[in-house]
Order: sequence, then structure tokens, then C-alpha cells
Amino acid sequence: MSYQFTFNMLPLVIAAAISGTLAGYTWRNRKTPGALAFSALLIILFQWIVSYIFQLAATNLPLKIIWQNITFIGVVATPVAWFIFALEFTGRRAWINRQRLILLSILPFITIIIVFTNSLHGLFRASLRLAAEGGYILLQTENGPWFWVHAAYTYTLIMIGLILIIRALLRWPPAYRVQMILILLATLAPLISNVLVVFSLVPTLLDLTPFAFTITGMGMAYALFRHRLLDIAPIARDIVIDGMKDGMIVLDANGRIVDINPAAQNIIGFSGDGQSIGKSIADVLSQWPHLIESYRNVDEAEDEITLGENDTQRWYELNLTTLRDENKTVIGQVITVRDITQRKLAERLVQESEARFRQIVENASDMIYRFDASGYLTYANPSALHAMGFEKEADALGKFFMNLTAPDARHKLKRTYQHQFVSKTKNTYHEFPGLATDGREVWFGQNVQLIFEGEQVVGFQALARDITTIKQAYEALRIARDQAMEASRAKSQLLSKVSHELRTPLGGILGYAELLHDNTFGELNAGQNKAAKEIVESANYLTNMVNELLDEAQARANTTMLQESVFSPAALLQQSTAGTEILAKKKGLQLITSITSEFPGEIRGDERRLRQIIINLVGNAIKFTREGTVSVSFLHPSSEHWAIQVKDTGAGIPREAQAYIFEPFRQVDSAVTHDNRGIGLGLSITKQLVDLMGGRITLESEIGKGSTFTILLPINKTGVTA
Amino acid sequence: MTKPLALIIEDDPQLNTIMSITLQGDFEIESCADGNAGMERLKQTIPTVVVLDLNLPGASGKEILQSIRADERLAKTRIILTTADERQAETLQDEAGIVLLKPISPAQLRELALRLRSI
Repeated sequence: MSYQFTFNMLPLVIAAAISGTLAGYTWRNRKTPGALAFSALLIILFQWIVSYIFQLAATNLPLKIIWQNITFIGVVATPVAWFIFALEFTGRRAWINRQRLILLSILPFITIIIVFTNSLHGLFRASLRLAAEGGYILLQTENGPWFWVHAAYTYTLIMIGLILIIRALLRWPPAYRVQMILILLATLAPLISNVLVVFSLVPTLLDLTPFAFTITGMGMAYALFRHRLLDIAPIARDIVIDGMKDGMIVLDANGRIVDINPAAQNIIGFSGDGQSIGKSIADVLSQWPHLIESYRNVDEAEDEITLGENDTQRWYELNLTTLRDENKTVIGQVITVRDITQRKLAERLVQESEARFRQIVENASDMIYRFDASGYLTYANPSALHAMGFEKEADALGKFFMNLTAPDARHKLKRTYQHQFVSKTKNTYHEFPGLATDGREVWFGQNVQLIFEGEQVVGFQALARDITTIKQAYEALRIARDQAMEASRAKSQLLSKVSHELRTPLGGILGYAELLHDNTFGELNAGQNKAAKEIVESANYLTNMVNELLDEAQARANTTMLQESVFSPAALLQQSTAGTEILAKKKGLQLITSITSEFPGEIRGDERRLRQIIINLVGNAIKFTREGTVSVSFLHPSSEHWAIQVKDTGAGIPREAQAYIFEPFRQVDSAVTHDNRGIGLGLSITKQLVDLMGGRITLESEIGKGSTFTILLPINKTGVTA
Repeated sequence: MTKPLALIIEDDPQLNTIMSITLQGDFEIESCADGNAGMERLKQTIPTVVVLDLNLPGASGKEILQSIRADERLAKTRIILTTADERQAETLQDEAGIVLLKPISPAQLRELALRLRSI
């Protein structure tokens, strides 16, 4: 067996695992500035510990020597990696370049060659032998002269690195003190252990340095990733400062640029790295002398500035802070410049939009105003102010809505908007009289929307119109309508009264004329007899007219009452046409009556009025027909309706006259002669009676071909008996 | 054989006269010019026919009608109501049986009265 692994090696395995894990973790995060050097350090450390484990496990001398040599790769590389890490950690990255790296590596490289060729010259290890200690088989060496060169170089680099880190740590804010001490101890661990081993201050042959570096690695990883201390450490300056969008310029006490990030260079218009470093800020900003002027001797400033003009104009937020040391002496200034152009443009858009809407609202002829949730006016546009009689907005703002309302309307208005408020109704419309400053009543037609902030109602927004004129017109119209109705009623009453009063004297005329005509007062000669007859006829005509006038008056005043009863349609037809048949015969006309076969045997309705309608229509037909026939038919077009149809072969009614013949006092002028005169109420009354019965009257007529009047009436089912 | 009695209660003198002349050939005529007189007269006589105007000064036609109807003595008396009011005529048609709307034709009146007399 060449190797013998024992439990004693467990601490070393753990240390290897820790440093390996950390190396892997930091390697994955090597993009973070500073992490690469740290990762390299941990990888080297890992190599050191693993090699050391194998060295310990090796059971024969030659094998042990080979592993010790391999271990030395880590041993010599560690101080260099540590030193570079320290430089990066403390913000001295700029110092590291390829040349310096090569220079730093020369001595360790020589050391490695010497270590591997030691058997030839013994410069590094003067003697070698195996020794057992605490379960380990150890290599006991006696150091040669080059070992001390190597040791000196190693401790120099470690010390410089330590000092740099400790100095940086000491500057940390007090809040990080605990972490700082932990890291400090971690950092010092390898030094302490190494010193102990090299100077044989502890009686052990075991090299404690790899353990110590593992402790260091843990401490640093804790600092790096757990507390993100590197973020605020100078090492992170690049990503924070260089990476940030805001421009940053650091000036020394003389106004020279000591640091400037790419963003600031962009803003100023400088390209390329570091061109402006070392230059006076006044020179760099010579384009904008006003800026230099404004901020000469200014300690602190927070301003918005613009650079460029028109399309290239940009806005910046400038922040200037003066840095001072403990003695309050100015050591420099930090200027940050944030590009706020987008914000400014957005603000300008908002302002323009606001102005546009304001203009619309302010110039609107409609009234627009707002109240807060308690009902106090918070805004009113000029139209609203004008309508209410306010001269300026300030006079109106803060007014309570109830006080702007006519006293009579207040209660209702309050209820309306309380309800809207409570029910959260989005939109309402309400009309009410407002109270102008001079006591005038101004009618508002008001649309009110609730203003929400989230779920909460914070006010009312109203869009309203001055409807005073409309209200007045409406009122005038209402009065006119009432008057017209009153006049119509009065007219009907008058007609009723007149027709009533006419009947009595008519009785006298008709009575005496008839008595005369009947020779009651003695025998009349032929002329007297004819005269008496004429008087009787005139009186009868006048009586008819009075009857029609009265019917019309009643119909107009809606006072006609139907008296319904069940009657026989056949009897109705017979009675209605009996009187007119004589007239038809006189004129040589044929009067034909017919009833459809399946017509109901009984019908309910106002028989007297129906008779009146039929007599009227048939009378008209006879009057205006010179020859041919007049036919009256009862039809049964559907189970719901029955119809009266009166058809003649008369002159026909002109189309234009068809539109008005159902109006009162209208007649087809050309058709009226002395023989067929009338006052033109017959069809008007007929139509009104038909309407009252829930029916419909229609007319079909053509000049020269006669006319057909059809009256369609509903059948009152309840009244029809089987 | 004495003629049956026709009582004419009509406030318009012309119509009263016309009715009287119309019926005098067939009836013994008595006429009154107002409601109260008519009412009085009805207490004393039993007319066969009463021509009664509905709109009368004094007792109204309706009152007289009711009083005739209520009087058993006058159970056989026939009544012809006259009115110038079409609406009234319509409503009374159902109650009274015979209603004449003015103007009244003498021939019509005589025919009606004779028909009533013969019942």
C-alpha cells in the first residue's frame, strides 16, 4: 500500500471541501470584480490542501517527496494570489497589469524549479526523513538556504496584503465592526499559523497553513457574499460607479477631475477612458460657462439644468456635495448628474394634456364643476360661474351646495345626492332650481358622476346645462296647453248649450209648421201648403244639424258614453237601412244589405250609436251617388272582429280629400250641392264613435268608381251569447 | 163619451200651445206652465196621459215623475217625457220608457199619445 488514509486527515478533508466549494462558488461569480482573484486564491488553496492530504497519506518517502513538491505549487502561488486579491479588495486594481504579474511570479517560479530539482542540489531541503506524530506519518525536513528566500518573499507579500486589507477594514463604518473583527481574525489566521510552524513555536511537524487559509477563505466569503461588503468596498466601485446611469464626477480641492464615470463622460461629451482625469472641471465644461459660474463657491446644490437646445435639449438633475476631512478642510467635491429628460418630456406631455383639457373645460358652454364629498365646491368653470353670477372662481370655491340651491329644492336635492353617495350610483341626472348670487333662480339640468379614489367616493363631478329657458318655455307650453284644454272644454260646453237652447225654438217652428201643414188652422191653398212643407223640412234639417253639433261637442269633450247591450245584428241592419231605403228609391238607387253567413247571431255594443253610424254612412252614400247601388254588408273577417262595409258607385273621393274628410266641418267641397248639403260633422262623429268603440274606420275610393267605407270593430266576447 | 184627460206640463208657452192644439182633438186638455202648478193639478185629477217637460221652474220634471210613480191613484196614468237635453233623454230612456227629444213633431206626439191611450 502506497497510501494510507486515516481519520486523522478528516479536518484536512473538511478544509479541502470548504475551500473547494468556496472556489467553485466564487468561480461561478467571477464576473463580479474582485471575485476572480479571490476565486484563484481559493483554487490554489484547494490544490495545496489536497496535495497535502496525499503527501500525508503517502507511506513511502519517494511518494511523499513527490506530493510535497506538488504541494509547493500551491504554497508558492498562494502569496501572489493573496497579494492580488488584497489589491483588488482595496481598490488598487489599476496597479495590476500583465508585466507586474509576471514580475511577481518570477521568484515563485524559480522556487518551484528548485523544489523539484532539490535532490540534485539540496538548496531547498537540506535533509529529509519520515517521522510519525499523532497518527500521521510526516516528512521531517531541514530547510536549505533557498527556503528562507522563499519564506521572506512569501511573508512580504502576505504582510503587504494584510496591511492593505486591515487598513481598509479599519475604515469601515462602526455598524460593521463585528464582521470586521471576524474578517480580520480570518485574515490573520494563516500568518499566525505559519509563523507558529516555520519558527517551530508549536511542537508539531504538521503544516497548519492550509487550515488557516481555509478559515480565511470562509471569513472572506462571509464578507463577500453574505454581507455584500464588497459591494460598498472600493472593489465594487467599478460596477456601481461605472455601471450606473447617473453621471458622477469627483473633483479635488483645486477643481481637478480625479474620478469620472462613463455616464458623466457621455453627458459632457467626452469619449474614451480617463481622458478628462486630471483636467480642470472649468476646462472640461468650457462649453457651459454659466454652469461654472453658478456653482463656483457653492457647497451643496440640488438643481435641474438643461444642456443643448431644441431637439437635442436634455434635462439633468444635478447634485453637488462638498467633501471635507475631519478638520472641515475642503478635500474635493462630488457631482452627480442624472438624466431626467424622459421624465421632463413626460411631465411636459402631462402639462400640455392638462392645458388642453383645461382649455376645453374652461371654454365649454356647458357648466362643469366639482364638489368634495362633503358638498363644498372645489372647482367651477367660467360657464358655471357666470350662470351663478360669480365674478371670479375664488368667490365661489368652498361654497356649500345647499346654499347654491333655491330653498324649496334643497331638501330633494340633498336626498338625491345622499342617495347617490350611499348607493355609489356612478351617474345621475337631476333638474333643480339653483340660486344665483343676485337671488335669481337658475334651472340646472345636472349630470353628476361620483369621483372615486379606489373604493372611496371623494367627491362629485357635475356636467350641467342652464335649462332656465327650456323650463320657462315648458311652463309657458303647459299653461298654453291648459288654456287650450280649457278653451276646448268651454267650446264643447258652448256647443252643448247652444244646441240645447236651439231645440226649444225649433220645437216652435217645427210644431207650428206641421200644424199648419196638417190644416189644423184651416184649409191651406197650394202655395201655403208648399210653404208649410218647406218650413217643416228646414226645421228637420236644422234639427239634424243641432244633433250633429251636440254629438261632435260631446265627442270632443270626451263625454260621449257608450251604452252597451246585446243586440241582433240582423235587426240592427234592418232598422238602420229602413229609413234610408226610401231616400234611395227616390233617387232611383238600389240599396243592398247583406250579412256574412257565419256572422254571430248576437253582438254586444251600443246599438243606438251603431245605428247612427250606419245611417250616417248610408245617408252619405245615397247623397253622393247619382246612379247604381249602395250596399251595406256586415262581415266577419276574423273571430275577434266584425265589420260594417258601406259601398257605393258614386263619384268617389279625391285622394287629397281622403286625408281630411274625417276632420270636423270638412267636406269634399266640389261634391256639395243644395240637395246634399250638410255641416260636415257626420264622418267626424262617426270616426270618433268608432274610435270610442275601439274600432277602426278605413276608406277606399277612386274618382268615378265609388267609395268603400269599412269599419272594423272588436267583438266583445263576454257579451256574445251562444 | 168624454175624452180622456191629457195634462201638459210645459213652461214654454209656444210648445205648450202646440201640444195642446195637437192633442185637443183626441184629449181633454189641461196645461200647466210650471212644476208646482203641475204637481197641484195632479193631486186633483187623474189624467190618462201626462206630457211632462223635464226642465221646469218650481218642481222639476223628475220630481213630478217620481211623485206620479209613487201615487197609486195615478197608477194607470201614462207619461211622455220631453227634454231638450240629449244626454238626459238617453239616461231616462231606460227608466221612463217614453222620452221625446225636442223639437217634437206634433204628428209624432199625437200618434204616441193615441197609442198610450189605447193601452
